[in-house]
Amino acid sequence: MRPKRKKSSRWIFLSGILVTALFIFLGNKAVIKTSTDEYCASCHIHPHSTQSWKLSTHYDNKRGIHVHCVDCHLPPHGERYLPEKAKTGIRDLWSNTFKDSESFNWEAKSQIEYAKGHAFEVSCIHCHQNNYPLGLTKEGREAHLYYERQAGELHCINCHITVGHYDPNRLHAKNMDFGIIETADTELYTEPGVMEGHTNFTEYITGSTVSFEMIAIPGGTYMMGSPENEPFRNTNEGPVKEVEISPFFMAKTEVSWDEYLSFFKQTGAKGKTSDAYLNVVNDDVDAISGPTPPWGAPDQGWGKSSMPAMTMTHQAAEVYCQWLTKITGKKYRLPTEAEWEYAARGGSSTPYFFEGDPKRYVKQGLRNKLFGVDTSGINTYIAYMENSGARSVSPETKMENPFGLVNMLGNVAEFCSDWYAEDAYAQYGTDVLLDPQGPAAGEEHVVRGGSYRDGAEDVRCASRDYTRSVPWLKTDPQMPKSIWWYSDCLHVGFRVVCEFEEPGANQE
Amino acid sequence: MKPNKKTSRRRFLENGAMGAIGVIGASQLLQSCTTGESTAEVVVPNILDTAPDGQPIRAGVVGCGGRGSGAAINFLDAGPKLSIVAIADVFQDRIDGIRGKLKKEKDVEIPDANCFTGFDAYKRLLEVDLDLVILATPPYFRPEHFQACVEARKHVFMEKPVAVDPVGARAVMAASKQAEAAGLCVVTGTQRRHAWSYQNVYARVKAGMIGDITSTNVYWNQNKLWHKEKQPTWTEMEFMLRDWVNWTWLSGDHIVEQHVHNIDVSNWFVGDHPLEAVGMGSRLRRPTGDCYDNFSVDFIYDKSVHMNSMCRQINDCATNVSEYIRGTKGYLLTNNHDVFDLFDYEGNELYKWESPVDADGNKTETSPYVQEHIALINAIRTGNQIVEAEQTAISVLTAIMGRESAYTGKKVTWEDMMGSDLQIGPKGEIKLGPVDMDKTIPVAGSAPE
Repeated sequence: MRPKRKKSSRWIFLSGILVTALFIFLGNKAVIKTSTDEYCASCHIHPHSTQSWKLSTHYDNKRGIHVHCVDCHLPPHGERYLPEKAKTGIRDLWSNTFKDSESFNWEAKSQIEYAKGHAFEVSCIHCHQNNYPLGLTKEGREAHLYYERQAGELHCINCHITVGHYDPNRLHAKNMDFGIIETADTELYTEPGVMEGHTNFTEYITGSTVSFEMIAIPGGTYMMGSPENEPFRNTNEGPVKEVEISPFFMAKTEVSWDEYLSFFKQTGAKGKTSDAYLNVVNDDVDAISGPTPPWGAPDQGWGKSSMPAMTMTHQAAEVYCQWLTKITGKKYRLPTEAEWEYAARGGSSTPYFFEGDPKRYVKQGLRNKLFGVDTSGINTYIAYMENSGARSVSPETKMENPFGLVNMLGNVAEFCSDWYAEDAYAQYGTDVLLDPQGPAAGEEHVVRGGSYRDGAEDVRCASRDYTRSVPWLKTDPQMPKSIWWYSDCLHVGFRVVCEFEEPGANQE
Repeated sequence: MKPNKKTSRRRFLENGAMGAIGVIGASQLLQSCTTGESTAEVVVPNILDTAPDGQPIRAGVVGCGGRGSGAAINFLDAGPKLSIVAIADVFQDRIDGIRGKLKKEKDVEIPDANCFTGFDAYKRLLEVDLDLVILATPPYFRPEHFQACVEARKHVFMEKPVAVDPVGARAVMAASKQAEAAGLCVVTGTQRRHAWSYQNVYARVKAGMIGDITSTNVYWNQNKLWHKEKQPTWTEMEFMLRDWVNWTWLSGDHIVEQHVHNIDVSNWFVGDHPLEAVGMGSRLRRPTGDCYDNFSVDFIYDKSVHMNSMCRQINDCATNVSEYIRGTKGYLLTNNHDVFDLFDYEGNELYKWESPVDADGNKTETSPYVQEHIALINAIRTGNQIVEAEQTAISVLTAIMGRESAYTGKKVTWEDMMGSDLQIGPKGEIKLGPVDMDKTIPVAGSAPE
């Protein structure tokens, strides 16, 4: 009996080894099989993902090397390859089975913040081990020195986003051709618009074919900020202050690419290589020197013309206003934060200028998560996260607010002239404030209105945000960094206001 | 760390053995240094008398003035199978000069075909079959020349300073990394780092003999350096080039050109670069150019470690070329390759470097100017790569930071320097003729109303 049992246990042992070997063999087969480009492409229905990959330098290069999906979208073997593979596999299986691929927002998924999550930097470094190959350009050497000094704050794809999937609108290079538009034989405006009393007027940009609408905003008093019981209220929105605003004009829409490019064309320093100096000395605007060529495509390929201009710096927006003042003979500037909120509210004191509960429009709570967000109502007025497709929209697609202004909330966020302070409202006294200007000094400027990429909670009338000078210029490789274009901010633009002087106000 | 056959028996006992211990003890040493608790083993690297034998090394010289010729001779003295085969300079008389000197002192002849003149002479020199290039032009040209050498895959000996402005210094840092990746060897004329004396006291300071470093004072106060009077036949550019130490765009000013040696010693001992500087300086008696002739700068490293730096080139004033390194337990005095003493605060001498002598009492120490070439050749022939360009660029940028603070009167930070687009020098192409640039001598601050 004994020998027999020994024999059988030996068989069990041997077959155990065999089964294990088979398991490993098949498992390995499965891993290999499920790691081919063809396998990825069999489910991944991204529009153009294979095509853009084949156009990229990771497919089409002189060395004839093809870099495969898993080489970038999974970490290298031995560095959490299998766990990450399992994780993405389960996620993809779930999405493929239960989700409608039509509902995927590929635009949003290709943005840097998201892309960082599915392109592994360890994988970049696994192949690209030398940041200083011979033949690297001077700019490349400077940029890599900079990258190394940022110690973990930059991912390779912050600059090299197009290497795996080609996108001509996102090349990391100075765009010398930007804004060069062949002028057709249309007539150029020779006279600026005429302001007749405090009524709406059309402004004409002389030397161009561009005009825009200015809305007369009546003077009045309102409560600035939000009550403590407003959903999603932040503490920087209070305490609520009573504010009196004098009459002024505000542009109906955010400054469009047509408008901004007129400025770029008339003042742009095309031949200039350094961004170091801004040629405006206080009141002397005779010698306004405009933007240098931007990096990449500031419009992201989303379209120019009436689309809101964006990615210009706060300083550039201010110079734009000075330029507009000079060519029109009126007083253009950025709105103060108080003017901005007064105009956005249009007489309302609710979270939005229309009826609607912010809680209904956010992707929070079980109901909204399961059944999707009901965006009817808000769709009419605001381009925001749940309806924008992760890009800005043309102003024709949204309805006006009670003052006749479009896209005050959402679309692109807007610069104000005030310095930002968390406790700006608390710094004010208790009297009614007349045309407050914000703190006397600060580091960053106020940004209002939220943008196409914000949730419903951040596109309320009272929401406050601010510029972030350092992160918004993170990947600008120039020394010093551009004063004209943010390299890493895609959601902020601005709107101009024009001052109104009561007839006879200057007579005294 | 194996002792070379040609290392003298005496030297082997003194240095080689310590080196051998050192390799084993290095990790412990690092730990004990950071804790600053006890004195760790003293690690003096094995210093060679001469470079090891090996493949012949053919060198070219770019910049054939005093230092170029000197470096060429130092190179030839460093070991066997070393030759100078090509030379380049802007001026013909410099070419003639170095050819004469090489013939007379080393019986070396450079064929006509390998002698190049003009601003682009270095490009043609790089087309000659060379292994190594010696760069000894005025430092303004160094970043461009160094980059070209690295791209051409040449080993490099280059004189300090390696740049005159932040853009140039960063270019050298990046090119240094390229050289490293390409397997090239680079030594940079900071010969104190190769001197036996400095090596010996450095090893003892690192071993904790004077505790943690709390401050340093570094000095290069000397008489006026040389200058040239403008000759009627010279264009302005030729005058500037021949009078280069007196022009900031060519030399970096004397805090960068000369005093960088001492600043580099401070950075070396502290093991870091300063984070900010406030300096002052002026031009009192310099006859030509636009450089200052005195600077005093307070540099601050991390953890509030200060380096007080002082340099002057004016006749009939107190002179002093030295470093003073102060630690928690004692201090080090060095004095221009002469005195190297460690003391504690009771006045006890902890260590004194004695230069080795032969039976007749003559010093047997190899000149540090040759020693640095020995280190370079040794690195090339043994494959123990050495690339000093980045560390020297950091010390040069430190000196530039002090200079810019003195020129502007403002505090200047390391971040300012790493992000600065300051590039000095004439506008447009460099060529003989008038020089189009701002020649105003900087004056800090503003006059009272």
